[in-house]
Amino acid sequence: MSFLEIDRLSKAYPGVQALKDVTFVVEAGHVHALVGENGAGKSTLIKILAGAVRPDSGSIMLDGQPYHPHTPRDALAASVSTIYQIFNLLPDRSIAHNVLLGREIRGPLGLLDIGAMHRQTAQILEQLYAGYLSPAQPVDSLKVGEKQIVEIARSLVNESRLMIMDEPTSALNQVEATALFNVIRSLRQQGVTILYVSHRLDEIFELADTVTVMRDGAHIATQPVTGLTRGLLVEQMIGRTLETIFPPRQATTSTESLLVVDELNSGNRLIDISFTLNRGEVLGVAGLSGSGKTELGQALYGDQRIDSGRITLHGKPYNPNPGKALRNRLVYLPEDRKGEGVFQEMSIRRNIGLSVLERLTGLFGFMNLRREREIAGQQIRRLDIRTPHMEQEVLNLSGGNQQKVALAKCLSIDPEILILVEPTQGIDVGVKFEVYQFIVDQVAAGRAVVLISSEVSEILGLSHRILVMREGRIAAELVTDATDQEEVLRYAIGEARPAAGTPHVLG
Amino acid sequence: MIDTQSTPAGSMQNRDWQRRLIHFLGQRGFVLIFVLWVIYLTFNTRNFATVDNILTVLRQATIIGIAAIGAHFVILMGLLDLSVAAVISLGGVVMAHLMIAQGVPPLAAALLALGLGALVGLLNGLIITKLRINSIIATLGMSSILTGIAFTITQGRTLFGERGNNPIEAIHFLSRGRLFDMIPIPIIILFAFYIVAFVILNRTAYGARVFAVGNNDRAAWLSGISVDTIKIATFMLAGTLGGFAAIMQVARQGTATAGMGADFLFPILTAVVLGGASLTGGRGRIFNTLIAAIFLTSITNGMILLGIGIHTQNIVSGVILIVALSLDRLRTTLS
Repeated sequence: MSFLEIDRLSKAYPGVQALKDVTFVVEAGHVHALVGENGAGKSTLIKILAGAVRPDSGSIMLDGQPYHPHTPRDALAASVSTIYQIFNLLPDRSIAHNVLLGREIRGPLGLLDIGAMHRQTAQILEQLYAGYLSPAQPVDSLKVGEKQIVEIARSLVNESRLMIMDEPTSALNQVEATALFNVIRSLRQQGVTILYVSHRLDEIFELADTVTVMRDGAHIATQPVTGLTRGLLVEQMIGRTLETIFPPRQATTSTESLLVVDELNSGNRLIDISFTLNRGEVLGVAGLSGSGKTELGQALYGDQRIDSGRITLHGKPYNPNPGKALRNRLVYLPEDRKGEGVFQEMSIRRNIGLSVLERLTGLFGFMNLRREREIAGQQIRRLDIRTPHMEQEVLNLSGGNQQKVALAKCLSIDPEILILVEPTQGIDVGVKFEVYQFIVDQVAAGRAVVLISSEVSEILGLSHRILVMREGRIAAELVTDATDQEEVLRYAIGEARPAAGTPHVLG
Repeated sequence: MIDTQSTPAGSMQNRDWQRRLIHFLGQRGFVLIFVLWVIYLTFNTRNFATVDNILTVLRQATIIGIAAIGAHFVILMGLLDLSVAAVISLGGVVMAHLMIAQGVPPLAAALLALGLGALVGLLNGLIITKLRINSIIATLGMSSILTGIAFTITQGRTLFGERGNNPIEAIHFLSRGRLFDMIPIPIIILFAFYIVAFVILNRTAYGARVFAVGNNDRAAWLSGISVDTIKIATFMLAGTLGGFAAIMQVARQGTATAGMGADFLFPILTAVVLGGASLTGGRGRIFNTLIAAIFLTSITNGMILLGIGIHTQNIVSGVILIVALSLDRLRTTLS
């Protein structure tokens, strides 16, 4: 008898068969990876296990008992906890209140013992290698990666027997991810079973005992990781063979500078930032979370206060503000795409239309709805957004397709400069390659891309030059062809000192 | 051959039509209650289902309906305007005062009432966007200020013109006039305003921006929409419509008092909420607000016909609001 037995589980949504007779088992004490492309049915399966969605048919056995949670509370009562991609945190409350939500520590008189709560939280954060966070800090003030850590800390408190992790590392940098892996391994030793959803194949080979592949709502294979090759796994996921991971990068020929940043400062988040972005190049920005790389993207788009410094865009002084940026064909793909990149409760058509509103507007402010449909249709085809029709509300799309809508919003204004923050975060192999191809196509067409990413391999594979950021400063400016992953990481962590006389090290 | 084909196609169409009707009735809880109420009144009162009475209901719905357009726009952005009733009071008082005591021509006085509404909206918008004060608090404060000014002007008296020389009579046509001696002018104004509002919301860039701001103002800002400008413009629109409602109310009663708008706040907001607009913004159908405004008026009208007193009417209105919204909640939970 296995710990978790999933038997012929099916679930249909209007227009989509999300799960088709899915059957597989998860052994106790295993790290069991669940992989598949967007729309493969992973999210639906997780939601069923977490009690958020009910299946149409099929059954589940947990530790020999029938397990049919009707609500997330039922799941928690059965010691099944889930860490979703979208955070379930109370933004205004402290880290300690969030981590110990529902398990607050009470002192005499039944009042909360804040001191004890802070101590316990600090201990858990330490375990997650996040001891630098203060338990008293409100969750609102944290970065995406840090919120994820709080989310994980909370499930540690719940002492779950089955812990479901939905892409837990998608927002973490490599140091944080390594820390998480250590935690997961120690949980496994304690006998916790972990169902681990990830798009990062490296992690699966590093961490998992068993891997289940799903595709188009169906179960494809469940197999031990030992003896499995990357190629076979990818083939199972996408149903075809994938050749190279990165499309070939073309050499830059232009020296026309589109964007010049000079001595930019923003509090202690950005300190003396200077760089130039040339036409036809991908400028990678690497750094740990908290290094200021995200803030740099925000500052260039006017979403971060600037204290001093000059920015020149297309040769003219530029004081960042989203409206002005868009009129100057500078677009920005925010990190939190679900929350900031798209309008969830609006149609795909209107999401795209809102980005090009000025082009659609004629006499007396009337919109040309036919033109809006044309533009939306073009973008849907161009980015292969999978949807029955363009009137579909974005919230009904799978995660990967929501990201594509956010990209479509950027593309529809025909940009010259694209600032992309973690463009492949939380998307799977097939789509990831599409995004890489998309970036290469952009620069081939004479545009310029600022690629801000936590995945160093991605930055090395796509960029012409790399800015490595640390503690708000540019720690190094490297030429991709003359550097490697190790050097980038050393600058990011701060172990490297610029070697005298090395031409590609500027800072 | 033709017969055998047309029959199933016909019944298919019939079934489709039925499905749509059921969908429409189920869409909003209040629509079902409205239908039952109309049926009940038709059989239990002598006058309800007469052309005259129906026109009366529609005429009475005008003031609530017009002000509710502004409230609808504001709620679409996820904000509230509680000052609209005070705008009706102050607008009415200022207009009547200018016409009666200062001899200002009716058209100029009416334009000033509209301008006053727009000014109040501008102030509301600036306070909410620039000082970042919650819209409920800001417009509640504004409401108190406006009502205070209105009472200062009237000193608690009712403003009316002398018999035989009443300048307010010049705008009576807005309330009593009929087009081709048939359709009352206020009804034409009401429906025309709703059609224009529908077009603005669904066919203009401004309308698209209002929905965008209500749906997600962070995403709207990042999409290059100047969120503050949209909010200010919408409060100005709501204020101007409040000013227009003031003109209509003065035209209807022929007098003005500092409390003349107070009783409208509840039905105006109720109409928008019953109509299904989401209080968090981004969702709402303008014609549902119109239907709800007419429904609310028919409650008062019907209870008068049934001989039920004013206080009971308030109780029933509140109960209906809660029951209708509970039905909506129940429906979304079940589906």
